[in-house]
Amino acid sequence: MSVFTRNDKPAETNKPFDAKPSEVTRPPETPSASATPVAKPTTQAVAQPLPSTPASATPGVSVISKALKITGQLESTEDIRIDGEVDGDVRAASVTVGSGAKIKGTVYGKTVELSGTIEGKIEAEKVVLTSSARMSGDVIHKDIRVESGAYLAGHCKPEFGKS
Amino acid sequence: MTIPPLRTFKIAPRDPKSGDLPASHLGKALTAEGFLDTDGDLHIDGKVVGRVCADRLVLGTDGYLEGDVVARDVHIGGRLSGRIFALNVTLESSADVTGRIFHHEVTVAKGARIDARMPWRPPSYFETLTQLPESRS
Repeated sequence: MSVFTRNDKPAETNKPFDAKPSEVTRPPETPSASATPVAKPTTQAVAQPLPSTPASATPGVSVISKALKITGQLESTEDIRIDGEVDGDVRAASVTVGSGAKIKGTVYGKTVELSGTIEGKIEAEKVVLTSSARMSGDVIHKDIRVESGAYLAGHCKPEFGKS
Repeated sequence: MTIPPLRTFKIAPRDPKSGDLPASHLGKALTAEGFLDTDGDLHIDGKVVGRVCADRLVLGTDGYLEGDVVARDVHIGGRLSGRIFALNVTLESSADVTGRIFHHEVTVAKGARIDARMPWRPPSYFETLTQLPESRS
């Protein structure tokens, strides 16, 4: 790690480009590592390790955070949680649309839980519209639950898997 | 599909507020096609075809990205085919990059497979980057 760390520069020059405060405070290096001179060829040239996946995200599950905007298609064989904005179709095993989220397009899934906004269509076996849901468009389902407070402008058709 | 404009490249350190922006994570099973824009962090373990703009992008070991990347920090552990525009680029030993890497500072680990040109650019280049240059390769 130390091989690639440029220690010759004043700390200020590096500061603006450091991504996270957590990375700035690196663990104290072992004497053997810090003793390695930069010019000496080493057998181990290791870049900074990949920052681990955020603790909140369970592996396999995809999270589109509220800061992310996607223009295009999303497809997954696993679950997706969307808190951001998607302009396009979403296809996944289970789609959870958070309360701040906005989707323009069709959402396909085995289960779709909507707390945000969808302008388009839902095609899912099991559909849940929570109290903060705002759905403009048709819902093709087999099993639907609509909580009080949900906004639904469109047709509900129990035709999932029939066409 | 309309192409969203390129977000102005932010060279200034992120303000503390945006530091709280939750990171996005695209899992292994996910395939995304199109334009991904975020002011926060983005972690890709799946497959992405299109343009990615982020403050910080991490392409996991199993990740595959085809297209252009615009970010302040880029960590590549997976396969990338396209162009990178970033101040700080880190290529892990598992990285496999084809294309171009426009950078200000670059770190390459031993073992990384790189088939790319790596032009150095001053920070002002990234600051004024509002439109990506046309690819000639």
